[in-house]
Amino acid sequence: MARFYDLTVTDVQKTIRDAVVVTLEPGPEAAEAFAFKQGQYLTFRRDFDGEEVRRSYSICAGLDDGVLQVGIKQVEGGAFSSFANQELKVGDTLTAMPPMGSFTADLAPTAARNYLAFAGGSGITPVLSILKTVLAREPQANFTLVYANRGVNTIMFREEIEDLKNLYMGRLTVIHVLESDAQEIELFTGRVTEEKCAELFEHWIDVSGVDLAFICGPEPMMLGIARALEAHGLAKSQIKFELFASGQPGQAKRSTTAAKASKGAAKTQISITMDGATRMIEAEKDVSILEAALANALDAPFACKAGVCSTCRCKVIEGEAEMAANHALEDYEVSRGYILSCQAYPLTDTITVDYDQ
Amino acid sequence: MSEAMTTDQYLAQGGVLTSPANASPRYRAEVMKIMASFVDSEMAGAAGFADVINAAPGLRERIAAAKIVLEKTRHAEMVLDLMGEFGANTGRYATSHPWTARLDRDAAPDAARSAHDMRLSVFNYPLDGWTDAVTMNLVMGLAVGVQLAELGRVSYQPLAEAFATIAPVEANHVKLAAEGLTALAAAGKADTVKASLAYWQPRVAQVFGSEDPGRFEALSALGLRHRDSAAMKADWQTALDVTLADLGLG
Repeated sequence: MARFYDLTVTDVQKTIRDAVVVTLEPGPEAAEAFAFKQGQYLTFRRDFDGEEVRRSYSICAGLDDGVLQVGIKQVEGGAFSSFANQELKVGDTLTAMPPMGSFTADLAPTAARNYLAFAGGSGITPVLSILKTVLAREPQANFTLVYANRGVNTIMFREEIEDLKNLYMGRLTVIHVLESDAQEIELFTGRVTEEKCAELFEHWIDVSGVDLAFICGPEPMMLGIARALEAHGLAKSQIKFELFASGQPGQAKRSTTAAKASKGAAKTQISITMDGATRMIEAEKDVSILEAALANALDAPFACKAGVCSTCRCKVIEGEAEMAANHALEDYEVSRGYILSCQAYPLTDTITVDYDQ
Repeated sequence: MSEAMTTDQYLAQGGVLTSPANASPRYRAEVMKIMASFVDSEMAGAAGFADVINAAPGLRERIAAAKIVLEKTRHAEMVLDLMGEFGANTGRYATSHPWTARLDRDAAPDAARSAHDMRLSVFNYPLDGWTDAVTMNLVMGLAVGVQLAELGRVSYQPLAEAFATIAPVEANHVKLAAEGLTALAAAGKADTVKASLAYWQPRVAQVFGSEDPGRFEALSALGLRHRDSAAMKADWQTALDVTLADLGLG
């Protein structure tokens, strides 16, 4: 199970008005755990008003930068990103899990590979990590970046990318596509859609020579670019994705748990919501909620039935249950009302659980 | 840059998810089930094969069997690590099930899963000596090939990549099995092989057992299934027929 470590904030820099680059230093005991591959992300956790929030942010540093850095763009109403942009300062401590994610590729120092990457907005963070690493560690590699933004003033790492172009003269090509600011070349204005890609591939980018493509951005952009790349002959295995979803799930509010009801009755009425449908079943209190659901032909998810894997997780909306064992859920999940249904026995005469939350 | 699009719409159009943070509860549950079924099958398969190492007739065969046990266990670890990113307790998982538990040898073929874990039903049946183990490895290995071709397309990218890494190694297990069967046939054991084939074919076929079309549709919408069981079963049967004909065992 993933573990959290404390990281010390050693630097906070604004890159644009509403985005910061945060430099972090793990303690000596965690240094090894935080060795990362270019393109990976960190998952942070922090309490806001007694409720734990977890957020993942991509590492923007290259392997040779000698630092651990993440880029955090402020999202409207986002608790963590607002905190990072407005309050975080040098000397603070953040808590994060070691680097994860497979938006990366093994390096081939002697190969002369051609890379093509697409980044939308803050989707530049992992792409920048990959770009810097590849250009430094693969001396014969070429890199083309298509970078989509709303306007000039929302381009994260704009100057740093210009510097990299000069540093790696002739090996790094950057095409800025801006949604609302007009540019000299009309093709570079608007959204990066499947059609726009097709036009780019006609005159500006030779897809046939591309060895690996990386796409990081929101859903529609990912789909459009992937379609265009495949239509131009790239295999699925040559395309790497990192989804920066518009909304991250898991912001559910704490559920209210009813006061303990009488424990007299041996049976309980369980209301189970699954796949958007709700069913009412009756079960003995000494039968786990999962077994009760399965006995009633409900297709409840489960795997280990030993409280280890967490596949059977669901949320108690009303009523109360007790878990015989819990080796998978963390305290914050339990405090929000989540249970492992394979281990959970109803305590109340009625209980409502939801597998869809 | 982004017009509104829900994750479900995105998946239905062929989008891929890249981290647990992207996954809805339903998606999480289905991906966990796929992963657990794979991990448990590899663990149970490796556990069954571990006993067979001692039944191997020669040194090369011992090495082949030990290699298969090692690699299947390693594959279980790769996928279990991904389950860990979703919150599974990877440390406890390996010891939480009786991986060597089996039914009686003469139990009838049945698609029901074991009471203990999510292994495919075929791993509920015990191996009966070296020849039987090699035969099972061939018949099931071909089914694993078909399954991995399907699973390699799942919309959870880290898992699809893990399966893509695993597939060629598992394919090599089939090659080892074919070599083993060739040697056994040459040693005059063709009849024993045929008896084992008759035993394992209907049990492996259950891997592609009947499926609820509604469920297949729901999983397809999430990008977690692409081809139905009947089509996969037909692929397996063809691959088996071709392989057995090549080996002179058809």
